Amino acid sequence: MTTKVGSGPSWRGRLRRAVGHPKVAIGGVMVLFFVFVAIFAPWLAPNNPNAQDLMATLLPPAWDAGGMAQFPLGTDSLGRCVLSRLIYGSRIALLVAVLAATGAMVFGSVLAVLAGYLRGRFDTTMGFLVGLWLSVPPVVFSMLLMVGLGTGVRNVILAVVLVDWTRFYRVVRAEVLVAREREYVQAARLLGFSHWRTMTREILPGVLPLILTLFSLQMGVAIIVEAILSFVGLSVPSDVVAWGVMLADGRDQIYQAGWTLLAPIGGIIFAVLAFNLLSDGLRVTLDPRLQKRS
Amino acid sequence: MLSLVIRKVWVVLITALLLSVIVFILLRLIPSDPLGMMLPPSATHEDAEALRQVLGMDGSIAKQYGVWLQNAVHGDLGRSIFFREPVTALIKTALPATLELAMVSLVMALLIAIPGGVMMYKFEGRKLEIPADFLLVVLLSVPSFLWGIILIVVLGVAFPILPFMGQLDPSFSVPRVTGFLLIDTLLAGQWAAWWDALRHLLLPAFALALSFSPIIARVLRSSLIEIATEPYVNVVRLRGVSERRILWGHMLKNAALPTLTLLGVQFGFLFGGTLLIEVIFSFPGLGNLMVQAIKNFDLPLIQGVALVFCLLVLGVNFCVDGLYTALNPKLRQA
Amino acid sequence: MTHPVLQFSGVQVVARVGKQEVALLRQVDFAVGKGRTLGLVGESGAGKSMIGRVVAGLLPSNLRFAAGRVLFQGERLTSAAARGYLGKRIAFIPQEPLSALNPVLTIGQQMLEHLKRVGVARAERNQYAQAKLAEVGLPEPAQILSRYPHQLSGGQCQRVLIAMAFSGDPELIIADEPTTALDVVTQVQIIHLLRHIQKKYETAVILITHDLRMAAHVCDDVAVLYAGDVVETGPARLVLEQPCHPYSWALKQATPSLHGNLHELPVLPDLMPGLRDMVELRGCRFAPRCATRNVECESHVHPLEAVGEGHYIRCASACRIQENVQTKVLPQRSSTVVAGASTLLELHQASMRYTIKRADGKKAYFDALKPLDLSIRPGELVGVVGESGSGKSTLARIMAGLVQPTGGEVRVSGIARQGASTQQLEHMRQTVQMVFQDPDSALNPRRTVESLMTQALEIQAGITAENRREQALRLVGQVGMAPDALQRFPSQLSGGQKQRVNIARALCAAPQLLIADEIVSGLDVSVQALIMNLLLRLNRELGIAVVLISHDLSVIRYLCQRVLVMYRGSVVEQGETDTVFSNPRHPYTRVLLSSVPPDDARANWPPAQGSLEAQMALAESER
Repeated sequence: MTTKVGSGPSWRGRLRRAVGHPKVAIGGVMVLFFVFVAIFAPWLAPNNPNAQDLMATLLPPAWDAGGMAQFPLGTDSLGRCVLSRLIYGSRIALLVAVLAATGAMVFGSVLAVLAGYLRGRFDTTMGFLVGLWLSVPPVVFSMLLMVGLGTGVRNVILAVVLVDWTRFYRVVRAEVLVAREREYVQAARLLGFSHWRTMTREILPGVLPLILTLFSLQMGVAIIVEAILSFVGLSVPSDVVAWGVMLADGRDQIYQAGWTLLAPIGGIIFAVLAFNLLSDGLRVTLDPRLQKRS
Repeated sequence: MLSLVIRKVWVVLITALLLSVIVFILLRLIPSDPLGMMLPPSATHEDAEALRQVLGMDGSIAKQYGVWLQNAVHGDLGRSIFFREPVTALIKTALPATLELAMVSLVMALLIAIPGGVMMYKFEGRKLEIPADFLLVVLLSVPSFLWGIILIVVLGVAFPILPFMGQLDPSFSVPRVTGFLLIDTLLAGQWAAWWDALRHLLLPAFALALSFSPIIARVLRSSLIEIATEPYVNVVRLRGVSERRILWGHMLKNAALPTLTLLGVQFGFLFGGTLLIEVIFSFPGLGNLMVQAIKNFDLPLIQGVALVFCLLVLGVNFCVDGLYTALNPKLRQA
Repeated sequence: MTHPVLQFSGVQVVARVGKQEVALLRQVDFAVGKGRTLGLVGESGAGKSMIGRVVAGLLPSNLRFAAGRVLFQGERLTSAAARGYLGKRIAFIPQEPLSALNPVLTIGQQMLEHLKRVGVARAERNQYAQAKLAEVGLPEPAQILSRYPHQLSGGQCQRVLIAMAFSGDPELIIADEPTTALDVVTQVQIIHLLRHIQKKYETAVILITHDLRMAAHVCDDVAVLYAGDVVETGPARLVLEQPCHPYSWALKQATPSLHGNLHELPVLPDLMPGLRDMVELRGCRFAPRCATRNVECESHVHPLEAVGEGHYIRCASACRIQENVQTKVLPQRSSTVVAGASTLLELHQASMRYTIKRADGKKAYFDALKPLDLSIRPGELVGVVGESGSGKSTLARIMAGLVQPTGGEVRVSGIARQGASTQQLEHMRQTVQMVFQDPDSALNPRRTVESLMTQALEIQAGITAENRREQALRLVGQVGMAPDALQRFPSQLSGGQKQRVNIARALCAAPQLLIADEIVSGLDVSVQALIMNLLLRLNRELGIAVVLISHDLSVIRYLCQRVLVMYRGSVVEQGETDTVFSNPRHPYTRVLLSSVPPDDARANWPPAQGSLEAQMALAESER
């Protein structure tokens, strides 16, 4: 039987296969673009996002009749450059996405592996807690947390972690439950592997692809939650730009200047789509079971 | 069987109780002085003290909770600071609107998701699979509140087909019987008002449905793909049954179960979505009430509405659980 | 025969692999007549199910019908016509009965749907369904109709499926391994039922199976399939008593027998060619593995030639194979047992009891294993035979130390497991190791073969990568695999190779006792022989004792000196294998033995019908 090196389930092989998949490729490029814009915002934005020019409020985009080249995408009700605000808004989005997703991932996954593998009372208690957690609609929960913790980006991140760790917990735990029944886990125990070693060497590598998939998904979710919270004014202070704030502002001018809405809408959809594509692609390529059989 | 139901109801009640405790404590974690936010700047020390007494915030947290619980069991959820009305009354007016919205969105979502999921399953392995899949991912990336804004811009402002403010045109006045406009208008025989109420519901419900249905469609598609590999599907095919009947008579019945489970989970998200949707569409429902309460740091109102939301989610889960048990033959035996 | 119901002449089905076309079915010729049974015998990958798909007209779109004719009742069978006949004139009986029925519909709903297709009037459907269920021996048909598949046993489900297959009064039935997933005793009942109904309706039956001996007894004619070619065909008894084609002969030799002299099972090298290999094979596809191949075999495909009355084979060197072969007689088995040595493993009144909470809240007990005593000495080869639910797997797990018995104790080298110190436990691990059943589940798909085989070394301090490599090379040679397999992953291995990796992994811990839980079930006969010979060699050369758990009596007989027969959690009989098998005393053992198709093709089989209890009572009364 002939085999190609790298076609088996080694990490190298799978990563190679993953990158070849269109969803991963497109999503990956989009994510990189997003990160690039966020990091290099000060160099990319044409104007200061908070600079108000009350003589140039509600200007349409530059290609339109009344537009000005100085403001490529026009200005909002306070004369602030929409494009610059869009670009700077990506910084908050990225910050929240990365930190919140990492937090939720670590917290949720570790508990999931422990609970799923060890079972027993720990698992039942956790199950009850998680059930409780999930009885509160996430949006309501995050708003309650903002009221309780106070506003600000740091608390937004905390709120996302506290609300969404359950996503990681449920899915990863389900996987761990299946994995631990596999005979190779029992074989490892028979060979003298300790619980810890079994969890890290036999179970964790198997659930890692799933965790990565969820991580990418979670970043998209975090961006949405931040947008919701800044829309209702619970997130960033008034001197920081966030896409949700742009939406809230734009909504007041919906008849006169609808284009001020298009920028943040486009930004949010672009970023979330990027992470969703990546997540989807990773799910399909890294999970050996989903490989199409000839 | 009855004992099982009773046990489940018991669990729901305990969960509700615990949730109320959590919400209660959560809201009292506020680092800054809550009173300060609830009082006008010109308040005096006496005003503050009076307010503190009225709110019952002069005792320990446990005592405060005890007081609150006692009142809650009797139907008194406190008094809204901002609206100066009993919380229960405010909830009673707002709840039916949200429920109506949720129901209509659910129906819309199912009408989109089920044919959508089946269609995507049929595209599997054919040319349309990739564009359909891509479309699905794009649809999944748009949260409900963005849909709301997009729909307003497109179908409300650019091409003004549908209304996007409130529940009903102010020119109509309908006597409240149930609180559900769609029913009350029918009861009052006001057909024009019924139609108007429906039109007002369409955009917000559609926004919610658009965020809800792609996930359902996707799970339906995956379930169908998985079921297609089950041995019995091939066995039925070998008996000469038509592909159509295999899909609708055999496969979908099996796909219903995992899809139902997901529906239950997602319904909670649906209620969360009503918060912003109602704000965006100025819809006088529970979500709108919640956001206003939060903006005003109106503690008693926040508490009451949060609790009602939790009860709604618990209620939905309870129904889904029951439906699942009823539909799954392996669980149904006595 | 006068007018065959189904006839395949030179049928070829082709698939596209990369730029080339591969014939999945290359030269398929056979015929089955009215009221007759044709056995389609072959190992996995031979193309048996493909033939079924051709008859059903359900070839997937990437395959095409390239050559030959299929005649049904003398007329060409097109795909469209075939699909129209499905369920009515041509019916199928599937392989895994429990998964072959829709779990969310009742039996009645599924049967009535089928009866509608077959054309039974609405008013009569219910009655007709009940009559059919009664015909297949199901008691209380009305009740069965209202039940769901998971409420029935495997045997009952298969009876329902047989009832459905026969309801349209078909002219042809294709039974695809209908008994493989069932217990040996149930198998007999189902085969009996099938023959009975077939005789009644004079239906032509094609029985697809991998079990040579069963085919010899149940079928009138047989066609042996190898890699898409029919290599031999003729009257069943003749073909299977005196197979002329080298492959059929090798297949017969590799099937262990239940009685008679013990010969070492000859092992065929390599494997049946897969898709990619088939592209390169122009002539006989068996040639690479055939001892008597010549240039003519390898260059073109030989037509079917007669070697006897109605007996045809496709071979350029026919019937010369039996001359040059000498089979080794196996040495006396008891010679590997070390006399006077202390026991490796002892069970004292070990039992396993599960408590289940019932729906009404009360507790119920389930005895998976009733108290039993057992001791294994160094170098012994012991077999545990029983059906599903007999407790044999529980016994295996208790012996290996995966679970602790709820009663009694287990001693390894004299020391009790419970309460042993960590050091003692480690020593026990080096004494007793287990080889698991399902090779797909037993190997971590993310580890390479090298990593899997030397997994036991991971917890030992001071082992370098070089040490591991050395050990891996040693192990891979011990189990007879090539060193280049070390870098592969389980997904790139065949079933037999996976099982050998499994064994190697257990060997790495240098055990003195290997517990092998159903490690050869599900493997092809030729691969089975390889694994069994490997175990024998390990026993001979390294003195490793083996406890083999299996439901296959002939495998146990080949490998084990001593046997325990289990039924419903207790050991009902034990002793020297030859003694127990030639002279069984417990009624269950007798029933079990009578359920195995005998080696002598002329013997009368299947025997009495009826439930297991009835058979046991009968066996009891025969004493």
